[in-house]
Amino acid sequence: MKGAVIQAKAGIADGILNFLKEALDKGFFDALLLPVRVPAGDSFSYILMRDTSLLDGAFPLPPVMPVQGARALSSLTRYGKGTNRIAVLMRPCEIRAAIELHKLDQVDLENIFLLSVDCPGVLPLGDYIKDPRKGDALYEKVLQEWIIRSPRWACDICDKFSMPHSDAHFGILGAPESSLFVIPGTTKGKDFLESLDIEYHTSVKSWETKVQELTEEISKKREQTLQALSRDTRGPERLLGIFSKCINCHNCMRVCPICYCRQCYFDSDALKLTPDNYLMRAQKKGALRFMPDTLLFQLGRMSHMGLSCVSCGTCEDACPMAIPVSRIFTLVADSMQEVFDYVAGRNPQDPLPQIVYKEEELKEVEKAYIETYNK
Amino acid sequence: MKEFEPKIVYFLCDWCGTGGCETASAHHLYYPENVLISRVHCTGSLSAVHILRSLIEGADGVVISGCHPGDCHFETGNYRARRRVAVVKSILETLELGPERVWFRYVAHGEGRRFVDTAAEFNDHLKKLGPNPLKLRRDT
Ligand code: SF4
Ligand code: SF4
Ligand code: SF4
Repeated sequence: MKGAVIQAKAGIADGILNFLKEALDKGFFDALLLPVRVPAGDSFSYILMRDTSLLDGAFPLPPVMPVQGARALSSLTRYGKGTNRIAVLMRPCEIRAAIELHKLDQVDLENIFLLSVDCPGVLPLGDYIKDPRKGDALYEKVLQEWIIRSPRWACDICDKFSMPHSDAHFGILGAPESSLFVIPGTTKGKDFLESLDIEYHTSVKSWETKVQELTEEISKKREQTLQALSRDTRGPERLLGIFSKCINCHNCMRVCPICYCRQCYFDSDALKLTPDNYLMRAQKKGALRFMPDTLLFQLGRMSHMGLSCVSCGTCEDACPMAIPVSRIFTLVADSMQEVFDYVAGRNPQDPLPQIVYKEEELKEVEKAYIETYNK
Repeated sequence: MKEFEPKIVYFLCDWCGTGGCETASAHHLYYPENVLISRVHCTGSLSAVHILRSLIEGADGVVISGCHPGDCHFETGNYRARRRVAVVKSILETLELGPERVWFRYVAHGEGRRFVDTAAEFNDHLKKLGPNPLKLRRDT
């Protein structure tokens, strides 16, 4: 692969922001959507900006991910593309979710320029907001040493931390001292670098090697972690043990980038029934837990969006009861996607498995007929 | 002790599935009484949530029958249903919640025999498996 080398003398963030500033000044983009520290200083949010002076407060790699970027992007383009060209800088899992939402017609990518960056992970949101200063210091270290991966579960086993299917990617790993790679991923990305008069034919072998090494290492860890998790999750007893704390707030659904429905089925009247219905169910089961339909919500949500789950951990960050939601969703999503040889967010050209089919497939799902079984 | 009688939910599409059931009745073929028939317009319109909800709220097993490949009245509904059943099964399998309690088998309009055979075979299969642990849980 080939790319450009850009200066980052005052650090990664500075290098990326200067680069974006130049692109905005030269008019390649009309606006930017970037994470910026909130005025109170204790969190970050995506800000849509035209004014380059605002860039000073921007963080290309903020220490936390309070709002999944794909969600921000889908609010921005829900009604289709605008006339302005907007560059969005997001982490790889956010880009992957944006690609899924694009397939689901919730994001219009036509006038959007997707920029991604190598990601060392983020800190668990709950830990960070308890003491943002401590979090900032810790994250500073994560960015410098890179190898200290974040203790957040989803990030710790994220083997897709580098270049997703973006228009251009900022390669941090393996880049020469005080600089960064910019790697075009699409023709849009190449046009962009050309319009900035930036030569992009330098080899990025050192980045590729580093990324590959780290990917292999993390993939192994992911496999082991998921195997162990599966042992602790299997069966009604264990699974209901995990979800028994659930308070049915549905925060996990509301923050999930993939759960875009304006009316979630599990919040709808379809599940609101008469006292007699609940009593009948209580009689059958011996008793009925209230709020009802906790497990149905969890399994049902998996069945709705598991094929597009990007394992970003946002649901878990938002759970007030510290339920390992994203772990269970990741476990199920990985095996569900494997059935269809699908990887959420990998490629905008891969069709969503639920909207296509093959005539000859999934024979294992069909139950073979035993001729005249009951004679 | 009374023999365990499974509660079965049998989803049939309005066309071949229901047709198979009607053919069975025309030929006086019997299926177990504990099979609860539920008609859906097309197996392709059956949501994964209906299957999951049945299993959580009282069914010991769920079986789905629609038109054979190539015969779907909406052309592709049965292929989509097969994918959806695969999704449900992968959830049930990964979390060990009983993927073997969900069956999917095509039944044509004229296949009354195949319909009653499926009901009887599934009934015996579930008797061997015993009650579905999920339906007995109060903490769902
Ligand atoms: S279910 Fe959780 S991990 Fe999966 S995409 Fe949604 S928020 Fe991310
Ligand atoms: S759980 Fe299902 S219905 Fe609810 S928001 Fe997610 S995809 Fe939509
Ligand atoms: S956020 Fe946590 S407590 Fe709320 S519904 Fe989801 S799993 Fe349950």
